Amino acid sequence: MAEKARLFLAAAACALLAAAPALAAPAGKGPAWADLKSEHQQVLAPLKDTWEQIAPDRRRNWIGLAKRYPKMKPEEQQRVQRRMEHWAKLTPEQRKQARENYRRISKVPPEKRGNLKQQWSEYQSLPPQERQNAAAPKRKPPPRKPAAPVSAE
Amino acid sequence: MDNELHIAHRVRQLLNADTRVDGPVAERLRAARNTALERRKIESAAGAAFADNVLGRVRSGAGLSLRVIVPVLALGIALAVTVSWGQKQRAAEVEELDALLLSSDLPIDAYLDRGFEAWLKKRASF
Repeated sequence: MAEKARLFLAAAACALLAAAPALAAPAGKGPAWADLKSEHQQVLAPLKDTWEQIAPDRRRNWIGLAKRYPKMKPEEQQRVQRRMEHWAKLTPEQRKQARENYRRISKVPPEKRGNLKQQWSEYQSLPPQERQNAAAPKRKPPPRKPAAPVSAE
Repeated sequence: MDNELHIAHRVRQLLNADTRVDGPVAERLRAARNTALERRKIESAAGAAFADNVLGRVRSGAGLSLRVIVPVLALGIALAVTVSWGQKQRAAEVEELDALLLSSDLPIDAYLDRGFEAWLKKRASF
């Protein structure tokens, strides 16, 4: 029995060793600015000064964005250029929140949500209290506890 | 045990001293020798069987370890591949989402605002 347990432990250790490289956090510092292709440097120019402070996985993410950049329309490219620095300065939680909101807003059918820019300016013109009310999650009344079953004994 | 050895030693000395042993005594001695040899054979056979058993166990133990380690190792490799593929997929999804968000009609602040999305949904539901 003890021998089987030892064998199982050894096997589990082997499995962990095999899976370790994938489970471990991505190694290294990430690509340096000088290592980037010139076309990517051109796209990511607003981030040049802060590139070394960007986390390795975020750097890879920016390179991925730079690869998608040529497929964007000119006005979209301009927006990306303008917003890059602001986006890079956000905390990971803020970026996560923004992505989540983007997903949710995208799910609203276009015929119902109307012109988003117009809606945003309308929302901004609302009194602060009304905007705060919109942000506060609705509190559901606590569910009624079912009556305790009467014991037969 | 010591006494038996002593007697055996004495007997051997007497036999070596050119003692003539004839008739029924010689016959009994031959029979006793044969019996001793038979026993010796059985003991060594039992020893060999024991050794074989031990080796067999070791071999079957190794077999068991291979039977366990190989599938678990394969499972580990499969897990590693799945995790790595999952990470790449998630990274690609985030990249795509960031590209869409940064190039969107709306400014980043609209997506950072906690109320706008709820307000928009509420309006859309009317």
